[in-house]
Amino acid sequence: MTPRTPGPVLRRTAVTVTAAARLQWALIRRSPGDVQVLVTIPLLAIVFLAMADPSQHPQTAARAALAPPLIGLWSMALVVAGEMISQDRAWGTLEPVIAAPAGLVLVVFGRIAAVVVTGLAAFAETWLVAKVLFGLTITVAHPGWFALTLAASVVAMAGTASVMSAVFVLARSARTYQNTLSYPFYLLGGVVLPASQLPEWLRPLTRVVFLSWASDLLRDSLRDAPVPDAWQRVAVILGLGLIGSAAGAWLLHRVTIRVRRLGTLGRA
Amino acid sequence: MKRIAYILRIVRHSAANGAADFRATYTWKSWTFGWLARMLTQVVFFVVAGRALGATHTQHQLLVSNAVTACVIETMAVVSTSARERRDGTLPLLVAAPPSMIWVFFGRGTQHVVSGTLTSVVALLALGPLYGVSWSWSSALLAVPAVILTALANYCLGLALSGLVLSHTSLRGVAANAGYIAMMAVCGVQVPVAFWPLPVQVVAYGLPLTYGIRAVQALSAGQSVATAAAWACGTVLAGCLWFLLAAAAFRRVGERGRRSGSIEFSI
Amino acid sequence: MNAIPPAGGFALAVEVSGLSRTFTPGRGVRRKRADVLALDGVDLTVPRGEVHGLLGPNGAGKTTLCKILSTILLPTSGTVRVCGLDVVTDVRGVRARIGIVFGGDRGLYTRLTARQNLSFWAALSGLSGRGSAARVDAVLDRVGLRDRADDRVEEYSRGMKQRLHLARALVHEPTLLLLDEPTTGMDPVAARDFRTLVGEVSGSGCTVLLTTHDMDEAEALCSRVTLIDNGRILTTDRPQALGEWISRYERVEAEGVPSAVADRLEELEGVGSLQRSPGGRIRVQTTAQGASAVVIRTLLDAGVTTMSVNRPTLEEVYLHVIGDRGMAVGR
Repeated sequence: MTPRTPGPVLRRTAVTVTAAARLQWALIRRSPGDVQVLVTIPLLAIVFLAMADPSQHPQTAARAALAPPLIGLWSMALVVAGEMISQDRAWGTLEPVIAAPAGLVLVVFGRIAAVVVTGLAAFAETWLVAKVLFGLTITVAHPGWFALTLAASVVAMAGTASVMSAVFVLARSARTYQNTLSYPFYLLGGVVLPASQLPEWLRPLTRVVFLSWASDLLRDSLRDAPVPDAWQRVAVILGLGLIGSAAGAWLLHRVTIRVRRLGTLGRA
Repeated sequence: MKRIAYILRIVRHSAANGAADFRATYTWKSWTFGWLARMLTQVVFFVVAGRALGATHTQHQLLVSNAVTACVIETMAVVSTSARERRDGTLPLLVAAPPSMIWVFFGRGTQHVVSGTLTSVVALLALGPLYGVSWSWSSALLAVPAVILTALANYCLGLALSGLVLSHTSLRGVAANAGYIAMMAVCGVQVPVAFWPLPVQVVAYGLPLTYGIRAVQALSAGQSVATAAAWACGTVLAGCLWFLLAAAAFRRVGERGRRSGSIEFSI
Repeated sequence: MNAIPPAGGFALAVEVSGLSRTFTPGRGVRRKRADVLALDGVDLTVPRGEVHGLLGPNGAGKTTLCKILSTILLPTSGTVRVCGLDVVTDVRGVRARIGIVFGGDRGLYTRLTARQNLSFWAALSGLSGRGSAARVDAVLDRVGLRDRADDRVEEYSRGMKQRLHLARALVHEPTLLLLDEPTTGMDPVAARDFRTLVGEVSGSGCTVLLTTHDMDEAEALCSRVTLIDNGRILTTDRPQALGEWISRYERVEAEGVPSAVADRLEELEGVGSLQRSPGGRIRVQTTAQGASAVVIRTLLDAGVTTMSVNRPTLEEVYLHVIGDRGMAVGR
């Protein structure tokens, strides 16, 4: 056996994540349930754009147009995280995945990431609605930062949602509370209103939600003014995503232990 | 009279079935801290968003319209509940049973009307004062039946939609969501109905939510009871229209199924 | 069969003539495939009070016929009457007179108790108040679920669920009971209990149409059996005839048979065919009643002890029935 070096480990990780993502894309093509949120995005875009009234306030409308895709991305991540493991159990594919050397966490991460990446189409949908229905052309002043923020957000979303996928399995009643993770999270995530404008007592909480950093950075990258502290802020998004992934990995490890001990997840 | 008693019995038994579904999904705790909390946050979210984006609605109006919308969102869940009949394999038995299917389906989702009404009322009365709505005793009391009517009328709309997607049950989630978001756009929830071009306004006035919001807004703004009652009549009329459409949709499910053979005994 | 009086204005519970049903497979782009003929010129009569078996392999058209009788499927052509009422024009009348049981795990509200399930279906049939409660208790008794009546159905075993299915179908006292593959997926013991129950129910004068692909089930329950295949009726006969076919066309398999013994077997009367494989393995098909006994005796006398006798499959019986008829009719 050759000693483990960082190179092969990273490569193996990449291979696993890519394979999981490919699997998920194949599943999406067969049954597009996981991304059916995309159908509602144009309607949500109409709601938010109408609120901002682009003919009067084009700048505000451009910022409002960030909300539908961000809401869409998070709810897609949540749906797939919630369904994935129970679906795998129903199909009888959970045990083989756990038995495989790659480990559950990378597979879960890769599959959620695949859904979120597909969900990026929500930006195109929203901007199309803005253009066609409201005559609003959305321009991104700093496309580089915008793209980088989105990339970091995909990682953070997949990491954070992997926590959920484990919690939904470990705590039977958690699914009932799945809905609760939507609007409170959007509020704290500042998808419309910057976190800085929320009541003072809520602000510390928003600082640990990766979405609030992502929303702020996306808003800033729309504006002409230079984006302040951009690198640091991308790093924070990735850092929070990493913490989420670590928590997800730990919880999924417990899922694995449980499956190995009981042979199955039993009633969980 | 005998026929009415017969129908009421069917609705009552079917509602007991829906209530059992509801009890299997929620406990008091998970309803309060899961569902209700989520819906209240959603109301707050849209009020905050409306203010942040400079919406023409006042904060007061936004609170009322979003609070009333809560019961509409919940009653759209009947689309999923109805789809259960297909998944449970009871649809062929219902088609082959003597009464019209609409009564069974009407009873089956009534738990959503109750839960939706409760959610809206809590949002109106508990969140209202935080966002500038000052309720008098009488207006608060009258708001409750106005919400019940809105929930019931929209429940009929949900039933019609579920009749349409009963043959494509995988669309149940997306149909319900698209339905309520579309209503959120055009029914005067976030922006006044007048914001939209005329054809869209015409559609909006075919939807119960449009009237329901105006009725409760009239009450909360201290307008005359007659004004509120007039809007509530609109809610009832729209509800009746959708009920008729729902009955037609379920009849169509049975008839089309008989022609095409799409109603299976088992998997 | 004509002895049953035409009580209530009709003598035949089921009256099918010239019934055909075609399905158009696929939708949209894939719609190019040819139509499938599920039932082809079916004629069938079931007198009142009879337990009639509809026996055929999967895809024979049994369920299609059952669905048409239960008004959830329209015929393409032909006429179908249930209790004298047309299934196309008098839908409500037919629906009030039939009870349906199908196999599998679905068709019940699992979050309700058995009693709640039955009360619901009773309400749909117009029963109310004490009449409904008494009727529900009566059917619960009849299927032996009275003690578990207030447990939720999700806690029931497969066999109990199927008994509840039967109770549901009986709650409004139907004239015709349609049982579509009712024991599918049940373990043998539960299936046997269920058959006993159906036997008891049918004794009370209710007409029963039972579809199955299980020859034993048809033999055990039915007073007449109709063989159906590829949407056509092959023959209708007493179940004894079925029993005769079954015992006539047996299959004997044995190992270590010397070739001289095999040669002798081939000469025996009632031996249709004999296949030989390496290692002295043979497979004998019999074509006459009692032939397998002679085969076994011959093998035992020759010191062969590794052997088995198998009943023919439904498909094999079919081949023989079609073959016999083909010869009788053709030449």
